[in-house]
Amino acid sequence: MNNVRNFEMYKGIFQDYHLNPAFLDEVFSLDGEVLPHYRLVLDQFKHFTADDFKELNELAKVSFFNQGVTFAVYSDKARGVERIFPFDLFPRIISAQDWSHLERGVIQRNMAINLFIQDIYHKKQILRDGIVPPELIFSSSHYTKAMLGFNPVGNIYNHISGTDLIKHRDGQYYVLEDNVRCPSGVSYVLSNREAMKKTLFNLFRKHNILSVQDYPQQLLAIMQSVAPESDNEPNCVVLTPGVYNSAYYEHAFLALNMGIPLVEGRDLFVDRNYVYMKTIYGPQKVDVIYRRIDDPFIDPLAFNPDSVLGIPGILGAYREGNVTLLNAPGTGAADDKAVYSYVPAIIKYYLDEEPILNNVHTYRCEIDSDYHYVLEHMEELVVKPVDESGGYGILVGSSSTREQREELKRAIKANRRKYIAQPIMSLSLHSTFIEDENKFEGRHIDLRTYTLLGKDKQFVLKGGLSRVALTKGSLVVNSSQGGGSKDTWVLAPGP
Amino acid sequence: MLSRIGNSLFWLGRYIERAEHVARYTKVHYVSSLDAPLAQNKEIALESILDMVGVQAAYYQKHSQLTDDDILYFITLDDTNPFSIATNINGIRENARGTRDSISIELWEVVNRFYHNVNNYNAAKFQHKGIFNFSREVEEFCTLAKGYVSNTLIRNEVWMLISLGIHLERAMQLCKIINTKLYDIAKIDPGKLGGPIESYQWTMLLKSAESFDMFNRHYKNSSSRRNILDFLIFNPAFPKALTYNLTYLQNNIQAIGFQEGANTKGSLTFKIGKLATQLQFLTIEEVEENAAEFMTKTLDKLYNLARLLEEKYLVY
Repeated sequence: MNNVRNFEMYKGIFQDYHLNPAFLDEVFSLDGEVLPHYRLVLDQFKHFTADDFKELNELAKVSFFNQGVTFAVYSDKARGVERIFPFDLFPRIISAQDWSHLERGVIQRNMAINLFIQDIYHKKQILRDGIVPPELIFSSSHYTKAMLGFNPVGNIYNHISGTDLIKHRDGQYYVLEDNVRCPSGVSYVLSNREAMKKTLFNLFRKHNILSVQDYPQQLLAIMQSVAPESDNEPNCVVLTPGVYNSAYYEHAFLALNMGIPLVEGRDLFVDRNYVYMKTIYGPQKVDVIYRRIDDPFIDPLAFNPDSVLGIPGILGAYREGNVTLLNAPGTGAADDKAVYSYVPAIIKYYLDEEPILNNVHTYRCEIDSDYHYVLEHMEELVVKPVDESGGYGILVGSSSTREQREELKRAIKANRRKYIAQPIMSLSLHSTFIEDENKFEGRHIDLRTYTLLGKDKQFVLKGGLSRVALTKGSLVVNSSQGGGSKDTWVLAPGP
Repeated sequence: MLSRIGNSLFWLGRYIERAEHVARYTKVHYVSSLDAPLAQNKEIALESILDMVGVQAAYYQKHSQLTDDDILYFITLDDTNPFSIATNINGIRENARGTRDSISIELWEVVNRFYHNVNNYNAAKFQHKGIFNFSREVEEFCTLAKGYVSNTLIRNEVWMLISLGIHLERAMQLCKIINTKLYDIAKIDPGKLGGPIESYQWTMLLKSAESFDMFNRHYKNSSSRRNILDFLIFNPAFPKALTYNLTYLQNNIQAIGFQEGANTKGSLTFKIGKLATQLQFLTIEEVEENAAEFMTKTLDKLYNLARLLEEKYLVY
C-alpha cells in the first residue's frame, strides 16, 4: 500500500469529486491527495458503492426517526410533521494536534469571558480602563441589573458555552461566535456518534477516536460543583419550556442521561426564597437548575410578566444563594457580536496571555486607518452595525449594489462608532453524501464546540457538532435553513 | 417524582389499555357481524361498538347514517373523535414523550414507532388493510408496550403508576364491556332468549375481554349467564376479571405509599380497599339479577377513585 493516494484512484463514489480551489477541503489537498488523517476512512469507503451509501443512509435515518431524534415542523395537520436533522455518514475528522490547539483555545476564551462577565457586574474595571466601551455593555438588552454585586457559587457564569468555529482557506480555525446563553445541539453530537457506531462500525476498529459519551456525567459533575452549600446531596434538574419546544428532544436526552428530573416551570414554585418541585409525595427542594429557558422568561416577577414558562420569585431565591442557575442570568451581555470583537483584548486584559484562537479580523470604523480601509474595500467585507441583532443592517459587500454601498458609506461617515466590518470568511468544504445526486460532493461546514466550566473544573467535549450546508455553494449551515450534521471525530494523540 | 410526571405515567397506562380494548371490541364485533344472518344483527353489532366506546352522540353529529366505513373510520383513525384509537395512540405517545426521562428507551421506541405507523394510515391504506389487521396491530403493540413496562422498568413509582393506570382502565373497560353486552342481550326478542342468538352474544363478551379460551378451560364448556358473569367479575386468578384488577389496585396504591392517613374515609387507600374487599365477599348470586346496575355503580366508584387520585396527588 502506498502512503499517499490520489483521490481519482477511488473508483465510483469519488470519481467525479470536484475540488474547489477557492476553499480549503477538509479531506483532500489541492492536488487531490487524501490528507493523512482521512486515509483509513477512504480506504474503507472505496469498497462501498453509491448504493451501499444510500442504504446505510436510509438505515441511519430510520434509526433517528424511531428514536424520536426529530424536530417538529409546523403545518396545518393536526399532528405535526416531524423531521430528522439530516445526518451525513462521512465523519469529520480532527487530528490530535489540531484538537489540542482548539481545546486550549476555547478554554482560554471562555475563562476570560467568565472573568469579563463577573467584572461587568462588579467593579467594571475593564470598562474604567477603557478596554471595552461602557456604552456597549450598558446598552445591551441582555445586561441584567439583578446580577449587580451578586456572586454565583464558584464565581462561574457561563457554565456551558458553545463556541462556533470555522476553518478558513489559510488552514487556521477562526471563532465565528460565542454562545454563552443556552447553546444547543449537544444531544445530536451524542446521537450522531451512536448512529455511526451502528452503521459504520468497521471504521471505529481502525481508529483511536476519543469518546463523547462522558458529556452528561461531566455536565452533572459541573452542576454539583456549583450547588449551594447543603448537608444533603444536591437536587439537580433540567428546566425545559415543554414538549412543544423544538429542542425538547435535547432537554429530555440530557436529563435522562444525567439521571435527573426534567421539569417545567409549572412543576416548580418558590416559598420563602427556596425553590421546590411538586412531587407525588409533596414538595421537594431543588438546588441546581440547568435551565433551557431564556432570561426574559425565567421569572415573571423579575422580567416578562406575561411569561407562563417561568417560576415567579426564582430570581429572589437565586440572589439569596438558595438555588444555582446554569447559565447565570445576564451572560448574554457578553456574547453579542459587538463584544465579540473585543474578546482578544479581554483575554489579554484578564489572563495576560495571547489569544490562542483567531477572531475574524474586525475593522472598527472609529479607528482612522480601519475607517479608510472599510470605505475602500467594501465589496470584500461584511459591514455590521454593532448595536443591532438578527441580521438587521448587515451588508455583504460581494452581493451588494453600488447604491447600497454608497448609502452605507454616508451612514458610516455620520456615525463611525456604530459600524464594524469583517472580511467575508470562506468556510472549509467537506465531502458529503448528497442523496439526490447519489454521490459525494463538497459542502461548507462549521464546528460548534462545547465547553463546561464549574468550580475549579473545566471540560471540553472531545468532538462537537459539525454542521453542513446541504445546499450547493451555500455558506449557511443552520438547521432552519436545511442544514445537516456530521459525526465529528477527534483522534487520540500518539501513533 | 414530579406530580406532572406521575400524571403522565398514569395516563400512559390508561391510554395503552384503552386503545387495546377499543381495538379488540371493534374487531370482535365487526368481524363476527360480517356473516351475520340478518341485516339487523349487523346493525346491532355496529351500534354496540359505538355504545361501548361511548360515542353514539358524537358519531351522529358527524354522520347521518350507520355505515360500516364511517363507523370503522370514526372509531379507529378519526382525529376529531377524542376516543378514537388514533387519538389514544397520540395520547400514549405524548405522555411517553413527556416522561422520556423516566421510562426506558425500549418502551419509548416501541411507542414512537407505533405512533408513526398509525400516523401514516389514511382512509385508503385502512381500507386496504382492513379492520382485522389494523386492530390486531394495535392489540399487539399494546401487548408489546406492556411487555416493556413489565420487563424494562425498575419496580419503583414509575412502574407502579403506569401499572395503576393500566389496571384501573382495564377495570373500567371491563365494566363498560359487560354493561354493553348486557344491554345488547336485553334487546333480544324475549322469545329467543336462551337460544343461539343469546349464546352468540355471550361468546362475543368473552372474546371482547380476551377470555374465551380461559373461560372454557375453567368451566369445561359449561357456559351460562351465571358462569360467564362469575368468571369476569369474581375470578380472583384471571387477569381480565374485575376482582383481580381491584385487588391489584389495592396492593399497588399501598405500595406507592401516598402521604395520607390510611384509615381516613376520604383517603385513596380506604376507598380502593373498600371497593376491592366488597367484591371479595360478594357472590354471583347476589348480583346476578341486577348485574347491569351493579356494573354501573362499580364504574362510578372507579371514576371517583381516578378523580380523587388526580386531584390529590397528580395536580401540577
